[in-house]
Amino acid sequence: MKARTVSTHRGGMFSWLFQRITAILLIVCLAIHLSLTHLANIGKVDSANVAARLAHHGLTAVDIILLAAGLFHALNGLRMVLMDYWFSSRTRALVLTGVLWVVGLAFLGYGIWALWPWIG
Amino acid sequence: MSSKPRETANVGAGLWKATGMWAWLLFRISGVLLAIYLFAHIIVISTGHFNEFNRLMKAFDNPVAVVADLALVVAVLYHALNGVRIILMDFGIGIQRHKIMFWSAMAVVVICFVLFAYVAFSYIVTGKGVF
Repeated sequence: MKARTVSTHRGGMFSWLFQRITAILLIVCLAIHLSLTHLANIGKVDSANVAARLAHHGLTAVDIILLAAGLFHALNGLRMVLMDYWFSSRTRALVLTGVLWVVGLAFLGYGIWALWPWIG
Repeated sequence: MSSKPRETANVGAGLWKATGMWAWLLFRISGVLLAIYLFAHIIVISTGHFNEFNRLMKAFDNPVAVVADLALVVAVLYHALNGVRIILMDFGIGIQRHKIMFWSAMAVVVICFVLFAYVAFSYIVTGKGVF
């Protein structure tokens, strides 16, 4: 009972495990991201401000991790919510998963493309 | 606790009593809002590619936007700390004490929020950051 309620989900083991791995990545990277943008640089965020930060490879890595982990966590989370409603059957769930992967990979590509000029 | 076995009462029914039900519902709502925000954020920040970035970022220095950002911070903090509670419970930590775990997580949310709110309102009033 305990194991079934807490540890697994019909979304699958991969989905469950990666939701937690990305959660931990997001907590660490979002703490850095929000401290820098909302605390240290409030009111000062512009091209030059961002460029100065992205000159450090570590912070570029933080942004790319945020993009990839954020997209996975958000879309996998939406998938879990949607599978509780209309997408509960196996076929619909598979179609949903496929569509979400396409959306996620498209936004990952777009996000990295958008970041490119900053990385230089 | 009822006459149910301890484990079942805590995990099966316990999570669905009032606190847990609200924790779960708010976790879902904040999650969906943050997912929508993530896509909006990627699109707005990608204007960095089109030299529209500075003009857009100016709009976010407006007091209304700064307060709206604080609402976003609340959603992030709630989702993050409730998520930490869930991960700890996956490891079996706090299952017998889930209400204390929840309110401890909420205490961390409040402490972090006070810091963000202090910086945000200082900025609105003085036009400068704290750090």
